[in-house]
Amino acid sequence: MAQSTIKVEIKRQSSPGAAAVTEKFEIPYRPGMNITSLLGEIALNPVDVAGKATTPVTYDSNCLEEICGSCAMLINGKARMACSALVDKLEQPITLAPLSKFPVVRDLAVDRSVLFENLKKVKAWVPIDGTYDLGPGPKQAPQIQEQRYPLSNCISCTICMEVCPQFNDATGFVGAATIAQTKLFNMDPSGSVLKEERLRALAGDGGIQECGFAQNCVQACPKQLPLTEAISDMGRDVFVQQVKDLFAR
Amino acid sequence: MATAAPPAPPATPQLHGVQPLRAGEGNSYLWRKLHSLTGIVPIGAFLVEHIISNFETLNGPLAYAQQVKFLNSLPLVRILEWGLIFIPLAFHALYGLFIAVRGRSNVNVYPWAGNWMYLSQRVTGVIAFLYIIQHVWRQRFAGVSLPENPGAAFHKVQVELSNPWMLAIYVVAMIATSWHFAYGIWLFAAKWGITPGEKARKKFGYVCGVVGTALCLMGLASIWAVVYKYPNAPENVLPEQPAGVVLPASQTSSPISDPSFVQK
Repeated sequence: MAQSTIKVEIKRQSSPGAAAVTEKFEIPYRPGMNITSLLGEIALNPVDVAGKATTPVTYDSNCLEEICGSCAMLINGKARMACSALVDKLEQPITLAPLSKFPVVRDLAVDRSVLFENLKKVKAWVPIDGTYDLGPGPKQAPQIQEQRYPLSNCISCTICMEVCPQFNDATGFVGAATIAQTKLFNMDPSGSVLKEERLRALAGDGGIQECGFAQNCVQACPKQLPLTEAISDMGRDVFVQQVKDLFAR
Repeated sequence: MATAAPPAPPATPQLHGVQPLRAGEGNSYLWRKLHSLTGIVPIGAFLVEHIISNFETLNGPLAYAQQVKFLNSLPLVRILEWGLIFIPLAFHALYGLFIAVRGRSNVNVYPWAGNWMYLSQRVTGVIAFLYIIQHVWRQRFAGVSLPENPGAAFHKVQVELSNPWMLAIYVVAMIATSWHFAYGIWLFAAKWGITPGEKARKKFGYVCGVVGTALCLMGLASIWAVVYKYPNAPENVLPEQPAGVVLPASQTSSPISDPSFVQK
């Protein structure tokens, strides 16, 4: 017997300081839905299971195809992208909650600016701004490209940080995404000019040393980034940089 | 002409939640790396030495006594003991507790192998810490002093293990400590960039598993030897060993000044 409805329970809060409440919904079943289309259905008719009118559920989303990194949330308790979480493969009732380690803005939308701040701290960019044309960049060998490409797939969804036991208020750990981006830009022939600064930044409090190697990041990453390999490589580079700084600076 | 002051730039919004990386701040990198390193040397090296030395119990109380005597006759042995065992161990233990209390284990949500190992490293560390406190106190500092009485070592351990609860504690602690050390080597290689690749980590995992299992079995065999292989060991199998080097005292004159000694 085909099921006729989809049961959803959503943890909601109306503002950053407000208390969280759980609202239950029952949506007419359609085959092939994902969580974002489910939330779209609720927005079309925001009425809970008891028939009480409510507001559409707030959540971040943009591309709807797992490439922008916006719609990460806890789906049945686990951090996932809402767009690639298929309703037909989820146990019901489906529970939706905001990521637990980031301040809630409203409902399922959280403030993930800590990742942006971290990326700025490690200068995760290629410094090519100047007052004159810098000309073409140096050539990048295919071997380097092949190592860099998987790292460039990061969508800044922060799922690696959410699932990390070391990413919390007590440690202030920087998280796997930033470490992987450090490797990406250190391996860029133009970006490597900032390599030493990046490696020094990663040795600050909350830096790469806080990693406990639980490897949840690499398990949970929706884009399959080689995060543990990046952490290991950067662990060595940060250490070598610290030793160099100790003896040669 | 507008006289109004230009609008103030929006204040930097106060970040709630986990704070960003403190680039260039603090010394936690140094302490964390020291914690990692001390786990391998000197503490890990000492653990291996300790288990190998204890393995002498399989050759009986006298062999064990000679091993204890040998270790206590090492040059600067008290400095070695404090500098390479007690102080690094205390640091590793206390900093390890600090690391453990700041972690937020989530194996209930993400029951993955690496996540379980993360938790196991903290649990086995705490077990080892509690065990080592009582072990060092009861075997090194309380009761008969083994550096001066190496012959009493076997009997002292045997009396300790005659209590079935203490025997159980030793077995559990043996397993926990070997586990902690074996996974600790694996973690060290992974975090210091010695085994960055997926395959390298897997292969090294087998190596660590073999090392840990071997150490654990050797330790358990030593416990078995003390409890079952040589029951009722004598209280002391060697005469009292004076601390430091002392010439035999009971002679009337030293052999060098003895005329009969010179004539020969």
